Amino acid sequence: MEWLSWFSHPENTKPLALIIFFVTFIGILVYVYGSRKRGQKLESYRDIPFLDEQDANKDKQ
Amino acid sequence: MNFNFKHEWVETNVGLMAVLTMLAISVGGLVEIAPLFLIDKTVEKVEGVRPYTPLEQRGRDIYMREGCYTCHSQMVRPFRDEMLRYGHYSLAAESQYDHPFQWGSKRTGPDLARVGGKYSNEWHVQHLVAPRSMVEVSVMPNYPWLLSAKLDISDIELRLKALRKVGVPYSLSQAEYDANVATFGETVARQLHIPDSRKNLVEQANFGNYDGDRSGISEMDALVAYLQVLGTMVDFSKYSDDAFVADR
Amino acid sequence: MATDTHSGAEPAEQYNFDIVKKFAVMSLVWAVVGMSVGVWIASELAWPFLNFDSPYFSFGRFRPVHTSAVIFGFGGSALFATSYYVVQRTCQARLFPDGLASFTFWGWQTVIVLAAVSYVLGYTQAREYAEMEWPIDILIEAVWVSYLIVFVGTIMRRKQPHIYVANWFYLGFILATALLHTFNNLAMPIDLFSMKSYSLFAGTQDAMTQWWYGHNAVGFFLTAAFLGMMYYFVPKHAGRPIYSYRLSIVHFWALCFMYMWVGGHHLHWTALPDWTSSLAAAFSILLLMPSWGGMINGIMTLSGAWDKLRTDPIMRFMIVALSFYGMSTFEGPMMSLKEVNALSHYTDWTVGHVHSGALGWVAMISFGSLYHMMPRLWNTRMWSQRLIEWHFWLATIGIVLYIVAMWISGITQGLMWRSFDEFGNLQYSFAESVAKMMPFYAMRAIGGMFFLTGAALMAWNMFMTIRQGQRENAAAVAGKLAHA
Repeated sequence: MEWLSWFSHPENTKPLALIIFFVTFIGILVYVYGSRKRGQKLESYRDIPFLDEQDANKDKQ
Repeated sequence: MNFNFKHEWVETNVGLMAVLTMLAISVGGLVEIAPLFLIDKTVEKVEGVRPYTPLEQRGRDIYMREGCYTCHSQMVRPFRDEMLRYGHYSLAAESQYDHPFQWGSKRTGPDLARVGGKYSNEWHVQHLVAPRSMVEVSVMPNYPWLLSAKLDISDIELRLKALRKVGVPYSLSQAEYDANVATFGETVARQLHIPDSRKNLVEQANFGNYDGDRSGISEMDALVAYLQVLGTMVDFSKYSDDAFVADR
Repeated sequence: MATDTHSGAEPAEQYNFDIVKKFAVMSLVWAVVGMSVGVWIASELAWPFLNFDSPYFSFGRFRPVHTSAVIFGFGGSALFATSYYVVQRTCQARLFPDGLASFTFWGWQTVIVLAAVSYVLGYTQAREYAEMEWPIDILIEAVWVSYLIVFVGTIMRRKQPHIYVANWFYLGFILATALLHTFNNLAMPIDLFSMKSYSLFAGTQDAMTQWWYGHNAVGFFLTAAFLGMMYYFVPKHAGRPIYSYRLSIVHFWALCFMYMWVGGHHLHWTALPDWTSSLAAAFSILLLMPSWGGMINGIMTLSGAWDKLRTDPIMRFMIVALSFYGMSTFEGPMMSLKEVNALSHYTDWTVGHVHSGALGWVAMISFGSLYHMMPRLWNTRMWSQRLIEWHFWLATIGIVLYIVAMWISGITQGLMWRSFDEFGNLQYSFAESVAKMMPFYAMRAIGGMFFLTGAALMAWNMFMTIRQGQRENAAAVAGKLAHA
């Protein structure tokens, strides 16, 4: 358990946190904004809240 | 990150999303909290800090019951104004037996970390019963019932036993008692012995007579006993001004 | 969009709206109860005789009644209601399973009632926002696990391959709350038949655990979950899809990751080791980015519908909520800077900050969402638009009064406590700073009264709306029967 004390030094944790955070963050950014095709697909999900209304209208007709 | 990773797996699989979310939310707590338990530097070594006597602990229970922490902090910060107003800044060691901590978050009233010994017992009793009779502008509620309510000591052993289970060195066996004698000295160790807790409580209340009324033990006795011990355990005159800087 | 579509007209079997209705009604009940207690305790600080020398109504015992009733009663019930509504509608699946969903309702309401009664009687863990004693904590745990099962179960039944982002935020909130609640409430009961328990942790460790919980109660209970609300109801009410779906993905992961680090900023300059609170402060600053990302996403969604702001008070609730979200998430990181915190901590400034988030963001977005959702549940329109208008202005004025009062009193306290005279002595006694607070405590209580009055108007308006809906539906059924 001694290794955990490594985390108690800000000079270790600060860069570590920064690296973890940054790599993950960049990963998500690349994923989300990296490809136009994927982007379009992702944006198409915006309409999900409105889909149930079409269903409802269909039911009514 | 796996090259074939697809966020769609996450977006379309609620289980995976839950796992990744758990991961994301666990890191912060783990990194910040776990070391506090494992590093001995978190709590500095200081002489004098001891668990509360049975009467003081019952007073602490009442302090919590009445929600005193909603208006009073118990944590002096290392600023010049706070040290002038309240005394030496609080050390982690001073609350090492506090289950739970009562550092508080708000000072509608003043900090109480070092209130012990600052006022007389009579002052506290009068102030708790009618705060505005002592401090005209106070907005503290009156606590007259503390004086009339008899202190319930029927479950004092249970309380101390529960505290012992969570790590406070109250003693049950002779061996534990001897260990306490070695750590805290005999006078304190006797107070921490659970089988004698009821006797000790009554003795301390009768001897201290905190509420000024000898006819019985009131909740006021316990609360004032607790307030009077707050912040008094460490004798700071024994330490140099910067003795604790390295631990912060 | 506010009132012209009756999209709640699906056949009853498709969705379980009964449970949503129950939670929605209870959220209004708890809003009025919790805010009344809030106004009362605020008044106690201005006029201490209101404590009535009674243990049951004294500030210390009554304050947790206020916080629990508004956070868990009002906020919690609103979250249950909207999450059950949103998850069903965006997954186009019925809640799963009904019985367990019903248990979450009765269980949760029992929790709030037991909590309030036990505080007044003096049973408390003395941990802020987690005052419930251990038997209540166990009930919460049971309710919460059931909630998770219902929510995930419903998502698994969905007809869409994709899980809509609002549900991510709700899921994050459910998971985080489970984690926080479990670890922060680890305690040793003194006896199986006693309400009394002692925390497993002590001192510094206990403080960090508590504020890890405390700030994330804000981060997940009062933010992530209400963002879930925002991501459904804002687009839905504006009739425009969310501005950027991709931004919402980044928003979600960044928020989940970063919030959990920041609790330590409640413990600046205390006996908590310096590295912990510094790390917490660093993340608090970073947190500004995802927070504002979310705010921008919401505001840009509304930006194509500015014209509706003049005519639609519900829309106004939403835009004001987002504005306060932006303001509080700017103020928060600023207050987590050690230099600012040295002044602001322990003062009313913190109280004001909490309320700019709680009233301005949480309550306003809930009001907007409930105004959107409830008429649809009862298949009618709001009984009175004018009362919504009144509610909006009362609430807004109330918040402004409240926050301004707390800013002035907080900064005054902070400055008075640290000021020295020419000889280097403290210039003011503590009592002098208390005396200065009186007008601001009164002003705060009045601000609270404004806000409470607005909430009461809403409850009345909703009561009439529900009656109207029931009457209309009964008439429709009678009409059908007559034709048949």
